[in-house]
Amino acid sequence: MKLELGLIHVTDVQFGPESKIEGSVVYLNEEEIKKIVLEDETIKSVKLDIARPGESVRITPVKDVVEPRVKVEGRGGVFPGWTHKVDTVGEGKTNVLKGMAVVTTGKIVGFQEGVIDMVGEGAKYTPFSKTVNLVLDIEPVEGLKQHEYEKAVRLANLKVSTAIGELARNITPDEVKVYEHDTIMEGIKKYPDLPRVGYVLMLQSQGLLHDTYVYGVDAKQTLTTMIMPTEIFDGAIVSGNCVSACDKNPTYIHENNPVVEELFAQHGKTLNFVGVIITNENVYLADKMRSSDWSAKLCKYLGLDGVIISQEGFGNPDTDLIMNCKKIEAEGVKTVLITDEYAGQDGASQSLADADVAADAVVTGGNANVVVHLPKLDKVIGHIEYVDTIAGGWSGSLQPDGSIIAELQVITSSTNEQGFGKLSAR
Amino acid sequence: MCTVTPISLTVGANRIVPTIAIPHPLGNPALDHDEEKKLRRRLVEKALKALQTPIDDQTIFE
Repeated sequence: MKLELGLIHVTDVQFGPESKIEGSVVYLNEEEIKKIVLEDETIKSVKLDIARPGESVRITPVKDVVEPRVKVEGRGGVFPGWTHKVDTVGEGKTNVLKGMAVVTTGKIVGFQEGVIDMVGEGAKYTPFSKTVNLVLDIEPVEGLKQHEYEKAVRLANLKVSTAIGELARNITPDEVKVYEHDTIMEGIKKYPDLPRVGYVLMLQSQGLLHDTYVYGVDAKQTLTTMIMPTEIFDGAIVSGNCVSACDKNPTYIHENNPVVEELFAQHGKTLNFVGVIITNENVYLADKMRSSDWSAKLCKYLGLDGVIISQEGFGNPDTDLIMNCKKIEAEGVKTVLITDEYAGQDGASQSLADADVAADAVVTGGNANVVVHLPKLDKVIGHIEYVDTIAGGWSGSLQPDGSIIAELQVITSSTNEQGFGKLSAR
Repeated sequence: MCTVTPISLTVGANRIVPTIAIPHPLGNPALDHDEEKKLRRRLVEKALKALQTPIDDQTIFE
C-alpha cells in the first residue's frame, strides 16, 4: 500500500471574500464556513476566530483539533464514515495543509477539555501553539444533551476541515512524502535479517464522552484488529474524546501519528515495520481481558520480534497497557511502552495505577501533575470560567489577575502518549 | 470491591470482590430497578462473606 502525502506549507489563515489558497495563505469566507457548521440543527450559533503563533491568545475549553486534508488520488475520501462514505483509504495521494489546524471550543461538554496558549509558558507545552488555528466556538441549541453536543461539535470540525482540505485539491504541494507499506510476504522477502516490529495503538473507548471512532465505528464495540498505517494518515481514526486534555489523542495527532511516521522512517533500515494493531480501552474487565488477549494473539501470529505500545488516557487504561505488555511479552515478543505519568505534584508517587516486571522498557510523555503558572493573555477564545473545573484545575485555578495556576493536565496534548508532545524524561 | 481487579492485586488489597464496570461498580443501568436491587444485595452479601473468610494470601472472591 503506497500513499503520497503532498504537504502544502501554510503560514497564515485569513478571512476574505473568497475561500482559496494563494501561496502559503489560506483565505476563508466566514459565511461559507458558518453555513457548513449551521447545517446541523442541533447547533444554535458559531463564532469563528483565528489564533496565530505568538499572539496573546488563549483557547479553552478545547475539544478537538483536526488537520485539513484532501484525497487527491485513490479510493475513498478523508474521514471515511463521517465526511466521506466508508471506503478503504490509505492509497494514492493526499494533500495536507501543514501548519494550520481547525480547533473546536464552546460550552463545556465534559470536564476534561483543554487549554491552548499561543504564547508564553503554556505555549511551550502544546504542539498547537505552532499551528495557525481556525477556531470554531460552537453553541448548542437549548436542552441538547452532552453526548449529542459532543457529536455535533465533532462533526462540525470534520466537515469544516474537509471543506478547507478541498481548497488544496488542485494545489501543487511544496513537499511530497512517500509511505510504502509492504505486505507480510514482501517484508519477509525484502528484509529477512531485520527485526520484525509492530505497533499496538491503544484507542480510548471508555464511553461516556471518552470514545474513538475507526471508519465511523465506535471503538468500544470492536475487537482488536489491524489497520494499515497509511489509512491512519487519511483520517480513518477520529477522536470523540473528552479525556484529560494532556494525554488524549486529538484527531490531528492520529492523522500525524508520530510512532507510525518513525516506523516508516526506520523501515528497511533498522527494522521491518510489519503492521499496526488497534485495540481498545473499555470499562468492563472482561473486555480488557479479551482485547489484550487478542493483541497478544495477533503479535504472535505476525511473528513479531518487538512492538511499541502507545496508551491513551490514564487510570484504568494503565491496566489495559500492562495487560497488553504482559501478554505480548509472554508470547516472546519484546515491548516498549509509551505512556505518561501521574506521579503527584512533587513527582514522588507511583506513576501508573498498574505495574508489572514485564514493563521494563517505558518511554514517558511527562508528569501530568506538575503545576504550571500560565500568565494572563490579552484575548480568550471560548470560555475561561471552566478552567476551575477541567481536570488538572481546581477551585481557584483562575487567579484574580487572569493568570492560571493548574496542573499540566489542562494543556492540550502536553503529555501526549504517542510522543507528539515536547516533554520526556531520562 | 473493584472492577479492575488486577489493579487491586497490584496495590496489595487482601480481599477483592469483583464488581460490574468502572462507571457503575455496584449497579447496572441496563437492568430494571428490581433486578438491580438484587444485584446490589448479592454484591454486598458477597463482600460481607469475604470479610468473614480467613485468607493466607491476596484473594479474589469470584
